[in-house]
Amino acid sequence: MAKKRRPTEEVDTDLNLTPAMNLILILIPLLLTAMEQMKLAVINVATPQIGPASEVPPPDQAPDEKPLKLTIALTDRGMHLYARDQVIENKDDPLGPTIPKKDGEEIIDGKPVPGKVYDYEKLTQMLADIKDENPVEENIIINAESHIKYRYIIQVMDASREKKDGDKKRSLFPNVVLAAGVA
Amino acid sequence: MAEEKNQNYEILSESYEQEMLAKKKAAKKGVRGETPAKLTMNSLMDILTILLVFLLKSYSTDAVNVTPSSDLDIPKGKTMLTPEQTVVITVSKSAILVDNNMALGVKDGKVDGAQKRPPEDGYFIIPLNKMLVDAIEKQRRIAAVNPSAGKSLGIATIIMDADTPFRLLTEVMYTASQAEFSKFKFLVIADATEGQG
Repeated sequence: MAKKRRPTEEVDTDLNLTPAMNLILILIPLLLTAMEQMKLAVINVATPQIGPASEVPPPDQAPDEKPLKLTIALTDRGMHLYARDQVIENKDDPLGPTIPKKDGEEIIDGKPVPGKVYDYEKLTQMLADIKDENPVEENIIINAESHIKYRYIIQVMDASREKKDGDKKRSLFPNVVLAAGVA
Repeated sequence: MAEEKNQNYEILSESYEQEMLAKKKAAKKGVRGETPAKLTMNSLMDILTILLVFLLKSYSTDAVNVTPSSDLDIPKGKTMLTPEQTVVITVSKSAILVDNNMALGVKDGKVDGAQKRPPEDGYFIIPLNKMLVDAIEKQRRIAAVNPSAGKSLGIATIIMDADTPFRLLTEVMYTASQAEFSKFKFLVIADATEGQG
C-alpha cells in the first residue's frame, strides 16, 4: 500500500526579531548608564620656565615691588606659604608651618582613619585674603616633600583654584606651576 | 425535470463544500481572507542598531581611555576641564606607560636607580625619555600634515596613582620636559558633587 504524501506546507520566512530587539533594548540603557559612571577631567599644570628673569615688571605692578611668587610647600607637619620670597608666619607657632595639620579623618584604603589632615578650608580662606590684596595675580607654585602623596597635591590644587561664597564661585589662583621638591 | 434539479443541487453543494474547506484551511493558518497585521520593525531596528554602534564606538573615541585597575587609583578632583587628545603618561603602582606601551617598572613608588641619570639620585628616567622623544617625533610628523593636530604638540596628560610620591611625579615631569613637553594635564575623576570650571 502506497503511503499518502503529506502536502508541503508553506514556511514562514520572516525573521523573528523579538530576541534581538530584547537584547538591544537591554544593551542601550546599560551602555548609557555605564558612560556616566566615571567622568574624567583634567587640571592644567605647567613646569617652571627656564630663562632669564624678565626685566620689565607687569603693568599693574609697582616698579619697586617684588613679584608675588605665591608658593605652597607641603610637608608632613602642614602647609608652608611663601609670598614675595618671604614665609607667611603662623602667629600661634612662628617656627611651625603656616597652616598646621588639623585633627580629622583620613581615608586609607577606602576606610576613614582618625589622624592629622591638611586644613584645606583655612588654605582657601588665606588665599582668598591674598587674592584681595593682589587681584590680578593668578599663578601659584606648588611644592612638596619628596614622599608626599599625589592625592594631596591634587587636593591643594583644588583648594587654591577657587572659593565658594554661597552660590557664587570666586576664582583664586587657577594657574598652577609645579616646582621640584622640598629638600 | 426533477432529476435536473437534483443535479444542480449536487453541483451547488459541492462548490459550497469546497468553499468551506478553503475557509477552514485559511482559518487554520490564521488568515481570514486578508493579509495578517504585522508590525514593521525594520526602521526601529535600524535606529537601535545605529545607536548601539555609536555607543559602543564612543567608548574608544574618548580622548583618554582608562582601564580601571587596583594598580591605578585615580584621585578625585573638582575640575570640569575635559581631557584632550595628547600623549598619555600613565604612572601606576607597578609601571610607567607612554600611550599604553610599557616604559619601565615601578616598585614602592620608585623607579630602578640604574635607569636614571645620574644613577640613583637623578631626575632623568632614561627609558621614559626615549619613549617620550619617539612620541613627540610622531606628533610632529602628524602635525606637519594635519595642522589641527599641532595644537596638542608638547602637551602630555598624566594619569597617576593617588599614592605616588611627589618625587616620582617630579621625575616624570622633569623627564618629559627634557623631551620638550612643557604643558601637563593631570587626569582626575571629576567629583560630580562639586563640579567647578
